[in-house]
Amino acid sequence: MNTTAITAELPRPRRRTSMWPRLVSAELLKVRKRRGLVISALVLTVAPMILAYTVLVGLHASDPVKNGPAGGTENFVGSMSVLWGLCVVAAILVGATIGTGDLGAGVFRELVVTGRSRLALFAARVPAGLALLLPIVGMAFAITAAASIVLAGSKQAGWVRVGPGAREFKLGDVAPSASLLIESAGWLMLVTALTFLLALGVASLLGSRGTSIGILLGWWLVVMPLLLTFEPLGSVRKGLSWAAIEELAPDTVLEPTAPMSRATAVTVLLAWTAAPLALGAWRTCTRDA
Amino acid sequence: MNVVETSGLTKRFGDRVAVDAVDLHIPRGCAFGYLGPNGAGKTTLIRMLLGLTGVTAGTMQLLGRPVPAERSKALARVGAIVEEPRFHGHLTGRENLRVIAAARNPEAHERIDGALARVGLSARADERVKGYSQGMRQRLGVARSLLADPELLILDEPTNGLDPGGIHEFRVMIRAFVAEGRTVLLSSHLLDEVEKICDQVAIVDRGRVALRGSIAELARGGEQTILVATSDDERALAIVGGHRAVESAANDPSGVRVTLRPDVEADDAAGDIGRRLVLAGLAIRRFEPARVSLEQRFLEITSRMEVAA
Repeated sequence: MNTTAITAELPRPRRRTSMWPRLVSAELLKVRKRRGLVISALVLTVAPMILAYTVLVGLHASDPVKNGPAGGTENFVGSMSVLWGLCVVAAILVGATIGTGDLGAGVFRELVVTGRSRLALFAARVPAGLALLLPIVGMAFAITAAASIVLAGSKQAGWVRVGPGAREFKLGDVAPSASLLIESAGWLMLVTALTFLLALGVASLLGSRGTSIGILLGWWLVVMPLLLTFEPLGSVRKGLSWAAIEELAPDTVLEPTAPMSRATAVTVLLAWTAAPLALGAWRTCTRDA
Repeated sequence: MNVVETSGLTKRFGDRVAVDAVDLHIPRGCAFGYLGPNGAGKTTLIRMLLGLTGVTAGTMQLLGRPVPAERSKALARVGAIVEEPRFHGHLTGRENLRVIAAARNPEAHERIDGALARVGLSARADERVKGYSQGMRQRLGVARSLLADPELLILDEPTNGLDPGGIHEFRVMIRAFVAEGRTVLLSSHLLDEVEKICDQVAIVDRGRVALRGSIAELARGGEQTILVATSDDERALAIVGGHRAVESAANDPSGVRVTLRPDVEADDAAGDIGRRLVLAGLAIRRFEPARVSLEQRFLEITSRMEVAA
């Protein structure tokens, strides 16, 4: 170590940038450099879609009479009904990791001693996580949509019901319509983003990545589906985020188990997002660093 | 101006008082040692100063700004290493500094290269931190604290885990910071470290500041002892043992250890004792004040407090 004054070595600052983009950029740096996390998110979302369409193409090529084209609306809807669940899992992983990354590494206190507001440190995690997650989910969706269109095959006449209890639609539109694609993309991004925010809030509240992931996966994959099918709960089920997600889903993708108005669905989802986020922010501001 | 001012600063964890009404006044441009045994409340005090944990009672100011009211402005020019410096292991050293610089003022980004160079990490800055040794992490921690171009550096047990060479470099670096006009608050349980680095010291035990002052002042405040070696130590012992200024005298491996009464003027008493020994016909081989190390003073203070408790 030499002992030259650091100030003497410093160039004059060239330009000033505001604090917020720098904080978000730093958060994004932290999370995108976690190779395991990025690979996990890709494996959960992009890889299954590539695999599914590869298998469908193979099946169609081996027996075109028995197995229809790999693309088309039917397969798109089927893929979407799987993809949204996978996106939820990816969002939980990313949200829990970002929510606990600084604490787990012991860097949170180093950030606090900079004097920067804890709320700002917490808030920067939101855009950073979404900036990582949404492109990955977008990529998975793009693959699904592209395959559904490109591999749609020739036109078929008639009507068909796709998905459990979903509306009938005309198979003359072999490839998914633009409106279905846009609606599905928006819904998928919404589900992913809200789940990420939920996971971020819960993880920031609990301070433990493993515990947060366990609780959230259990809630999403076991508890909520069970509660949703438990009819004696009646309209209470409308308070579950799953029910609200079903309500907002494109008609052909998911059928609502507990039908409600769109406004109610949005309110339910906002509540499920805002409450954990507020708790996570509160804990970040009050915990000993 | 004092860069750190605390008044009645107190922290309780349930019934246990970790920091007990601490009043600190640390002047600008000095290395100030906050010295105490493990569990004395050193880290807790630092954590309160930095806003890492809440305060039970009392007030504090950093760089003239009240904390926590103006915490953000106060900490803008404060660098700190609290306990072991921690990093994101999956990021490189430079990236870790970028993360912290993002939370500081825009100029902090411009300081990254200079800070890395200063701690001798430029060549390894683009390697992941999980591959760094303890010493390299410690250096990176210093580099990180320099991003604030700090007026005040707060270092909590900074040489933990360093080898002797690293400790020496660290001492040199801290003195260089002080020479630049920065203030260093160094908490440590290592007496030797504080003695070698710091200009002023506060000795703390059980959360309370027991004594404060310059190193020399504190050492002077201890027992006044003279080591004497003569041609006949038994006779010397008898002569000095009866002297009115002597509290006690005892054989020592190197001669006779004479402890003066605390209320006497040491120089006058020593002169008189020496004169009597010479008049008694003894050849004096050694006659010197025993150096009271900070360690002796520290043990004296903390053991006294233990008895009082």
